Amino acid sequence: MNNPRKTPDASSTDHGVLIQVKNTQKETVNDFLKTAMEKGVFDAVLISMRVPAGDSFAYVLLTNKELLKDAFPLPPVMPVQGAKAISSITRRGKGNKKIAAILRPCEIRATVELAKLGQVNLENIILISMDCFGVMPTPIFIKDPEKSFKKFEDAIREDDDTVMRPVCQICDKSSMVAGDLHMGTRGVQKDSFFIVPHTKKGKDILDKLGLQANKNIDTWRAKINKNAKEKQKKRKQVHTDLQSSIEKLDKFLDIFSHCINCHNCMRVCPICSCRVCYFDSDKMKHPSDDYLRIAESKGSIRFLPDTSIFHMGRMVHMSLSCVSCGACEDACPMSIPVAQLFSMTADETQGLFGYIAGESLDEPLPLTTYRKEELSEVDDVHD
Amino acid sequence: MTKVLTVNHSVEQGIREFLKFLLDTGKIKGVFTLKKLNKKGDVAYSLITRSDELTDAVPFFPLMPVNAGKLISRFTMNGPPSEPVAVVLKPCELRAFIELVKLEQGSLENMVFISATCGGVFPLNMVHEGTIEKNLSPYWTAIKKEEIPENIRPVCKACTEFIPYNADLVLNLVGNKNLDSQCDIVIETKKGEEITTDTDIKKKYSQKEYKKENLDTFKERREAEKKKIIEDIDTKLTGMDGLIEIFGKCIGCHGCSKACPICYCKLCEFESSDSEYGPSNYEAELKRRGAVRVPPNTLYYHLGRLSHIAISCVGCGSCEDACPVDIPVSIIFKKIGESIQNMFEYTPGKSIEEKIPLTTFKEKELTEIEE
Repeated sequence: MNNPRKTPDASSTDHGVLIQVKNTQKETVNDFLKTAMEKGVFDAVLISMRVPAGDSFAYVLLTNKELLKDAFPLPPVMPVQGAKAISSITRRGKGNKKIAAILRPCEIRATVELAKLGQVNLENIILISMDCFGVMPTPIFIKDPEKSFKKFEDAIREDDDTVMRPVCQICDKSSMVAGDLHMGTRGVQKDSFFIVPHTKKGKDILDKLGLQANKNIDTWRAKINKNAKEKQKKRKQVHTDLQSSIEKLDKFLDIFSHCINCHNCMRVCPICSCRVCYFDSDKMKHPSDDYLRIAESKGSIRFLPDTSIFHMGRMVHMSLSCVSCGACEDACPMSIPVAQLFSMTADETQGLFGYIAGESLDEPLPLTTYRKEELSEVDDVHD
Repeated sequence: MTKVLTVNHSVEQGIREFLKFLLDTGKIKGVFTLKKLNKKGDVAYSLITRSDELTDAVPFFPLMPVNAGKLISRFTMNGPPSEPVAVVLKPCELRAFIELVKLEQGSLENMVFISATCGGVFPLNMVHEGTIEKNLSPYWTAIKKEEIPENIRPVCKACTEFIPYNADLVLNLVGNKNLDSQCDIVIETKKGEEITTDTDIKKKYSQKEYKKENLDTFKERREAEKKKIIEDIDTKLTGMDGLIEIFGKCIGCHGCSKACPICYCKLCEFESSDSEYGPSNYEAELKRRGAVRVPPNTLYYHLGRLSHIAISCVGCGSCEDACPVDIPVSIIFKKIGESIQNMFEYTPGKSIEEKIPLTTFKEKELTEIEE
């Protein structure tokens, strides 16, 4: 490894604004956003709200600030990855409105990756993240939304992640600051939280609101570092176990044996931004006699024959930018542990380049740069 | 008079032996069928060219991992095989393929279709729940008695088109009490006749005249179930508000479109740049309503897909199997699909000659709308 990994919680500042909680944390966050809208610091807010039936949540871009009272800055599920929402709004260029987007750290990291891939325009976007406790798998949540919601609130209160997505349970970047502002709630007194500026844009927002980042945030930082360390350990263990369960090709193929080729994993993945996936293109379609020839070489082939190559191809294409958000696994109708597999591979490939997806806008994508000294371990094979 | 070939084995063993015979004698080059993939017993469609591989074939396993019509379209659309290939598939899968052929997405040339009266299939989520195995025996017991098996997909319970159209060879599963001892292969078409008029086959299997069985009881039971299921969805499909309630939890994965055999577009309109909102679209919506869901057009996508495919929808249920958030999309599409099909007196996949209504114009049609 040529580039030592940076600490996941690297932040440019060690001071933040201490915000007093009135009633609930959710209301206080929403009030903060409302005030900022009233003062014209932002014109619109992208935030999660309950859908009319109450059985799920959706991102809503709003200018009517009265709606903020019904907003959920940290909803119990992530039906759409926030980076996809930002891409939907800005893929065709920046608009005239300054938009504050309230997202989870992995959603902001995916947004940062999409910015590098030219799929979002962040000029008029203010990215605000919050400490994340994970989200529940959507398919489980919707079975009984009311009961699930209570479970989620209990889990946050008790800091118990067992009801969350499997990849959330091993997320070591749940407080990673990659956007403009971050709301730090871990390890802070119940009746308050920190707003930590991370960029100049973030600092300017606080200035405009007359808020001074003058409080020491060591208590928060100590807590999130401890949390990250624990999760790193767990993550390593889970990945080691997973790796040993798929070490042979047969076992690897078994994991995908239920796959129905719906490509839901690809379509909900924030990083998979291709308009037409290579694996849906004509390149994968062959004349019948070709399929028969392939079948004859083995006696029989699974049809479609490109099930596992699709997953491996997708892995090759996006693992350097994978933020382990778990959207793919949520969308899989066959419950294939696809996010766990991808998070394992992503840690390996990103580790090889000392790259952390979404950590910094300034760090170029590894495949777009060339360093003479990198990947020497691969060279060695041919020596 | 229709003829029937009898293999003295259970239906499953019998069809395997028959396919093996066709492969070994070179009458067909390959077989498309459901097959066990591994020791765990996972089932998927396979293209088999060597007869010993048929040992693991489970042609009538009550599961539809992917609609086979879609697979055969993929197989034949860039040129049909130069030698015959047999496909074992369910009636709705064959109907979907016939629609795809009409839509120029596949070819019937050199394809031999083997189908069966269908008792329905289990939802795919029972695969990863591991509950299929214990449901198999009750399933076949129900089928023999012309009863609707428990735990099959709602859209299958409501299916009244369980007798295949356009199959060259047909097996009777529903109401067949001899499933475990005798395999009767009914020869339905000229193609079916050609493949079975061979001295080898005549020597090996007995052939006799065949009288079609009456499946009215099963049909009545299915009609009753359909009425119940459609009435239930009707109470929920109450205008715009009802649609928003049902589709509000959609995550926009478009798995329903990807799994649908009829949705064959290379690039869906709703994934194209034409459907993308630019900043000005968003700003206009915000000005008008003060808020907009992102990504937009969740409901519009489903309504658009409905208007694109309803006339050809065969009610196969693949869409709902692929939906990770349990939207009853197949029931909604079946309901709307059938009401549009009734308007044109069209049954998708029934006849290869009958044109898709939207490609023809009749001076007298749809007068009720004019009025």
